[in-house]
Amino acid sequence: MIYFTELQNLPFYGVKGEFLGELEDLCVDPGNKAARVASYLVRTPHKGIQCITYSQIQSLSVRAGQTNVPREEVRCYAPDEGLIRIKKDVLDQQIIDVNNRKVVRVNDVDFDIEPTDGHSELRIVAVNVGLAAAVRRLLQGTMSKHRIRLITNGLPNRTIQWEFVNLIESDPARRVKLRISYDRLAELHPADIADILKDLSYNEQKAVIESLDDETAAHALSEIPTKMQADLLESIPTEKAADIVEEMPPDEAADVLNQLSPETSAEVLADMEKDEAEEVRELLAFEENTAGSMMTTEYVVVHESATAEGAIEALRNFEGQVEAVQQIFIIDSETVLTGAVPIGRIVLAASTTPLMELASEPLISVQAQQSARSVVDLFHKYNLMSLPVVDEERHLLGIVTADDVLEHVINRK
Amino acid sequence: MTVKLKKFRNFGTKLLIFGAVLGPGIITANVDNDAGGIYTYSVAGAKYGFSLLWTLIPITVALIIVQEMVGRMGVVTGKGLADLIREEYGFRTTFILMVLLIICNYGNTVSEFAGLASGVSVFHMSRFVAVPLGAIFVWLLVVKGSYRYVEKVFLAACVIYLAYPVSCYLSHPDWTSALVSTIKPSFQFNSNYLYMVIGLVGTTIAPWMQFYLQSAVVEKGVKIKDYIYSRMDVIVGCIMTDVVAFFIIVACAATIYVTGHRDIKDAADAAVALRPLAGHAASALFAVGLVNASLFSASILPLATAYYVCEGLGLESGINKRFNEAPAFYWLYTSLIFLGMLAVLLLSEDQQVPIILLSQVANGILLPFVVIFMLQLTNREDLMGAYKNSRAFNIIAWITCIVMIVLTALLAVSSLLPGKLPG
Repeated sequence: MIYFTELQNLPFYGVKGEFLGELEDLCVDPGNKAARVASYLVRTPHKGIQCITYSQIQSLSVRAGQTNVPREEVRCYAPDEGLIRIKKDVLDQQIIDVNNRKVVRVNDVDFDIEPTDGHSELRIVAVNVGLAAAVRRLLQGTMSKHRIRLITNGLPNRTIQWEFVNLIESDPARRVKLRISYDRLAELHPADIADILKDLSYNEQKAVIESLDDETAAHALSEIPTKMQADLLESIPTEKAADIVEEMPPDEAADVLNQLSPETSAEVLADMEKDEAEEVRELLAFEENTAGSMMTTEYVVVHESATAEGAIEALRNFEGQVEAVQQIFIIDSETVLTGAVPIGRIVLAASTTPLMELASEPLISVQAQQSARSVVDLFHKYNLMSLPVVDEERHLLGIVTADDVLEHVINRK
Repeated sequence: MTVKLKKFRNFGTKLLIFGAVLGPGIITANVDNDAGGIYTYSVAGAKYGFSLLWTLIPITVALIIVQEMVGRMGVVTGKGLADLIREEYGFRTTFILMVLLIICNYGNTVSEFAGLASGVSVFHMSRFVAVPLGAIFVWLLVVKGSYRYVEKVFLAACVIYLAYPVSCYLSHPDWTSALVSTIKPSFQFNSNYLYMVIGLVGTTIAPWMQFYLQSAVVEKGVKIKDYIYSRMDVIVGCIMTDVVAFFIIVACAATIYVTGHRDIKDAADAAVALRPLAGHAASALFAVGLVNASLFSASILPLATAYYVCEGLGLESGINKRFNEAPAFYWLYTSLIFLGMLAVLLLSEDQQVPIILLSQVANGILLPFVVIFMLQLTNREDLMGAYKNSRAFNIIAWITCIVMIVLTALLAVSSLLPGKLPG
């Protein structure tokens, strides 16, 4: 194991033992053996920064690097955006530790020296974020490397394997060149992704959201504060924003669109699929802090003539969020709400039981223009998981679910 | 009718946006007028009458230039100053800066608690009761997360500074002479005068403010298109700081300087400036203002310090984390308050002097680095894009920085070698 702090300023020599220069930085090619150091940037006394490729390295140690070519064959360094530079792009930067689901700052980078086909290669093992690495950075260059190892050996060490490291690059073009993908990040729970997003700066948040697939982005966005959601959606291309908003539950989508500027909001709506945009538009019409503004229009509804089996059939065809299926709602032919049945009761009942026989008594509902406060009170009083919202003629408009109530209460605090 | 309504609505939106981005600059300004600030301004007025007023205009300009830069950096990069310094200048530089910042802000915390002790002494309350109570109050405020609400109370209580202009008015100072002194520079070439000038600059433009303002702007999530409002907030804040300073100096000049007894030893002496307004209640009024200023700053400084240090060094931080999740953050925060309190309780005022001096020296070393880093960072195309400094701005900013650096260096030197200043 060798640390970047030990490699920095390492003297490099040519095949005849002539001095080339001191190590400035290491480059990794993400497209080709992503953990192998592809080139060594060396600060030379007269020719500026030169670039030694991995196959030109004969041997490597904490004391020096030895190439297998004469000084004349080492070429000048031409900046390449497609390479990851350890000092410039990794050291001291924030990275996402996918395994521990958080954002951390890199103190040092750990390498292994591997003899390959008669020369030596350097492989990145992990990035180091622990105290030992911090002390190494502090002492670097002030005493011998051996001594620093002795001092830091006993200190707590924390490393993140290179394959679990997600670099954050806010320039989209460079992100493509560096093949940065957030596939592993996308596998995390949306709430964890949201926590990571909250630790990033605005441009970095944008970078991550833009590279996630629409569905993951929508779920993660739903978990961050609405203002932050709106800021992010305003900053990304309208099409992408529309794709993400489409994937959100209609009530969340309406909340976000409410926070956007009227122009952006209209553009996003125009770019959305017709049906989804229509649902969201209806929700947007309700005033803030009313039952109408809290509700979602995704719910399971059946006609009052249905049986338990019919209700289960309706459930199977439902495509919305699971939170919305705590109850199934019953309407008459005029879409007037006539009953609500908890899902558990339907499952336990014989399949031929008329649904109306299973309905809860009394039927609790709220009118769309009633205050959010009264919704919270109803949930509290009747220990509800979901609550139907109706208009003056008792037509079913949507439902409020417990998670939205909780969010409302917490935001109020 | 519709046109009118639309116009009103546009104005309304603008006002709303201003409200949403408003705050960081004004809060920074009010924390800037802390116990040390009030004391320095009072002494300046009591000892030198109007003759230091002219420094306020250049100080305001310098303050605006420096704060505008950090505000802009915050909006454009979305990162705190400590983060940026770490990313661009590496671990060791950041570590050294953070150690200096801790020393600096420890000294400041001590002076806040000393200010608190001095304020309550007017009410014949023992500092052994008031300071621990204040420390616990401040600590709980943050740990229990009720800070956001109390901040507004502190901010509202800052209207107490209005007592100074009223007191000025009632004491009938020579306004013409005050205004002339504000515009027309006048020098006195002696070490005490120079020391006072440096003190005024030092108390008004401090390194921690740059870290604080940038983080506050980032936390507000101000967008680039709303930056103009943020800039206004910063400028209004800077001017507010110095308008308050102006009235404190004038009030002290009109009430204390004219009497011939020009020494300010404690809060009761400084409170004389409010006598034209409050009569016998002047001391109480001054003390309430001082206690508010002290607690306000004491609740921000240690917390802010813990934040930047942890951010810069890559340690977990944040009051929404538990103690065992962010141990360094909580230890640092708690020790700053606890040790700050201890210094005020256990050491006599003379014994506190070395701490304050050390902190001023740390301040003097820190400020040039912070300002130069800021100038370098705000000139970086890759960070700032179209928002990097213009050439004209750079020239003014560099001149400001050099003058500030020379003055703070003089302050640091004179703190270490008292009486060695030429003059």
